[in-house]
Amino acid sequence: MAGAGLLRAQTNTATNTTTNVADEILALVTTNTPASKPSSRPETRIEAEGPADFDLAGRRVIYHEHVRVDSANMRLTCEWLAADLPQTGGRVTNIVAESNVVVDAADEKGQKMHATGDKAVYVYRVENGVTNETVTLTGNARLENGQGWLTGDSIIWDRVHERLSVPSNPKMIFHQAITSSEAGTNSLATATNSLVTATNSLATGTNSPAGVTHAPAVNTNLPSATAKAPATATNFPTGKPDLTHKSNLSPKSF
Amino acid sequence: MKIRDGARVAILATCHSPLVTTLLLSGAMLFCVSPESRAQSNLVGHANDFSSVEYYPAPNQLQIKSRLSGAEAQPLTGGLLAIKQLKLETFGADGKSEIVVNAPECLYDQLGGTASSAGRLQVQYQEGKIRVEGEGFLWRQNDSFLTISNRISTVLEFGAGRMN
Repeated sequence: MAGAGLLRAQTNTATNTTTNVADEILALVTTNTPASKPSSRPETRIEAEGPADFDLAGRRVIYHEHVRVDSANMRLTCEWLAADLPQTGGRVTNIVAESNVVVDAADEKGQKMHATGDKAVYVYRVENGVTNETVTLTGNARLENGQGWLTGDSIIWDRVHERLSVPSNPKMIFHQAITSSEAGTNSLATATNSLVTATNSLATGTNSPAGVTHAPAVNTNLPSATAKAPATATNFPTGKPDLTHKSNLSPKSF
Repeated sequence: MKIRDGARVAILATCHSPLVTTLLLSGAMLFCVSPESRAQSNLVGHANDFSSVEYYPAPNQLQIKSRLSGAEAQPLTGGLLAIKQLKLETFGADGKSEIVVNAPECLYDQLGGTASSAGRLQVQYQEGKIRVEGEGFLWRQNDSFLTISNRISTVLEFGAGRMN
């Protein structure tokens, strides 16, 4: 696994355990797809059972009832979706999905991600030559993949840098025990990778160690306490930690 | 017929009734006329395989703004016009295609400035990069507002940003 080296490097310093654990957790839920990856741009299809209103003067369309968005690696369902109609040669830059928003996505290796929330806002901007593309999930926002799940007041998915951030009330639970983090050895990376593999195997219906994949051993409440983190309950420093993190972990989590 | 913004309208038809010119002008204005021009239309004729073109005002008077064609146009009571095999194309001032609308059948209300049908509708936007289909529609001419009632399907050829 390409990202294993990075994880080892981060876990070798015993005096920096708390910070490293945060990085490791984020590494597990953060993709590592290069921003410059080639995009084949297949079709995206939006379907709805109810009416759709096209405001051609205002360049906006609103879909109602059982809205479904399908693209090559993602499916989004909701009950209400609004999108802008791009100028000639442009692209859709704003999408708002509301009510029972469910996003299912998979990377090129088939690793799956499942996210839910009351509202999802997609924004695409190019300003001063810098591309910003985000999906912000709010309202009971929850994101889950093979490694565990993540909740927060909002979950921001930066699609350019392929990273996640949770500005407030982040909570993560992982299907693994970070038991070796106190020792600061390389064994964490080894365990992480093996457990990730096992979890993915479960998701795809193959045999995997049941005791490993069904055990959400780590319950991490990030902003709460400042006490030294025990092995299975990691508490991060108070305040608003910068949870943005770019991982080189491979395969990517989302 | 009063034509807005000084735009010109050209009409071709293979079968003319005595008042077919009036009919075709009304059809040509289906998606692009001002209310006053609609009110001045009085339809008593029938036309087959008609086509009409609206041009931009000066200085783009040579550029086609819209082209409307149909297999058949039949005036009905109450100022309604039944059109079969409707095709409407609009173009930018640079000549690029903007919207192409196809509907097997359509009922156009001249006075209300609306077009509607219980049948299928296909819309292509941005030279086909955005394609919309649905069943049952209402087009409000005054504010360029289209509602598709059922089974809506939109295809974005380029996706949404990098979502693909």
